[in-house]
Amino acid sequence: MAAGLIAVDGVNGAAVLETAQAEIARVVRARRGGISRWDASGLFDELTVAEPAAGRPSARTLLLLYAADLSFRLRWEITPTLAEGRTVVAAPYVDTAIAFGLAAGLPRSWLTNLFHFAPHPRSRFVDKSTPRKAGGEGFVEFGSRSIALPMGDTRRHLVERARKHLKPTASRSPGG
Amino acid sequence: MKQLIRRRFADPSRRRGLLVAFEGPDGSGKTTQRKLFKTWLKSEGYEVVTTKWNSSDLIKPIIKSRKLLRALSPEEFSLLHAADFRHRVEHTILPALWDGKLVIADRFLFTALARDVARGLDLDRVLKVYQPLLWPDLVFYFSVSPTTSGKRVTNQRTPNFYEAGQDVTDLEDPVESYHRFITRVIREYEALALVFKFVTVDAEQTIAEQHHQIRSLFQQGAQKSWSEWNLDAFVDWLSLKRARR
Repeated sequence: MAAGLIAVDGVNGAAVLETAQAEIARVVRARRGGISRWDASGLFDELTVAEPAAGRPSARTLLLLYAADLSFRLRWEITPTLAEGRTVVAAPYVDTAIAFGLAAGLPRSWLTNLFHFAPHPRSRFVDKSTPRKAGGEGFVEFGSRSIALPMGDTRRHLVERARKHLKPTASRSPGG
Repeated sequence: MKQLIRRRFADPSRRRGLLVAFEGPDGSGKTTQRKLFKTWLKSEGYEVVTTKWNSSDLIKPIIKSRKLLRALSPEEFSLLHAADFRHRVEHTILPALWDGKLVIADRFLFTALARDVARGLDLDRVLKVYQPLLWPDLVFYFSVSPTTSGKRVTNQRTPNFYEAGQDVTDLEDPVESYHRFITRVIREYEALALVFKFVTVDAEQTIAEQHHQIRSLFQQGAQKSWSEWNLDAFVDWLSLKRARR
């Protein structure tokens, strides 16, 4: 199989990572580039140490930060790996962020424009599972507990709406 | 919700919020004039809130640490400043306008447009990133030549890496790079000034002359009716405000 970018999206961070690991394991060793994970730039990590008085970010602010982080991942992880002729799995990639934004009520046109710089992946996998209590936290899980929610809405509902917004194209269970 | 917003801003019994932006290249004297203007407004009975570029408690530390490392690409630079701006719009600017205060923005959206386009990004795409857009009631543009800006800045200090645009000029000398970069920024500002009808202040005048000009222009501009353009920004923010209750 030719080298290229594989995107794995989903709202369950732990499952997205497992799927990414399974996908990269399928690649011939010499062409195996690795996994690019969200917050490679560390800016969400820095966000968590901000004083409460700084205020909660909105979904829009959080997605601007996700776009900045993705731009960093493309520059330092994804593009150089592809240039070496190797395969890289982005877990998560653009669709997870768009699903989160749609679930938070943001316009699709704004979201599409925000991620215009991200190249289309060669293959795309969607994990449709719901988050588990244990395991790595994904962007949607982080986002849903970081932003203020409209009255009557819950974090669980936001995550569920995001899950429904993920288009089920090709999907493959870990190792399957 | 749109009707509620219209009613609030058209209510003659209450002072409506006003947003005044100060724009222009470094060394154009914006900060001096902003301080004089604020003092005068307070003496006129206005409740004044000031917001500066790249100043949110949430995002500023993130940008600062990356600038020190010179680790930002033009795209990342643009997106992080947009995040800082959005956070200040939601937490400082819109709440103050809603309460009928006067907000002075020392740099606003147009700073991002001029700098990002000077860094090679597409104007239309950057403008869309900043949606829903919030239009100031008045934009004072402090016009100076690249030479004046360069002299005023470099007489006091050496411009820092991003201020000098060294990330895009690839020049080692910050002063030379500043001159090249600010020439591009000023070109973009001047195009924006025409499109968005900025009020141009000749920043080569004396401080007193500029201040009197600003007072007079403000008194004319403050009588304008509220801009319907800002409805979307307020609808977006009111949804968030209700969420925070």
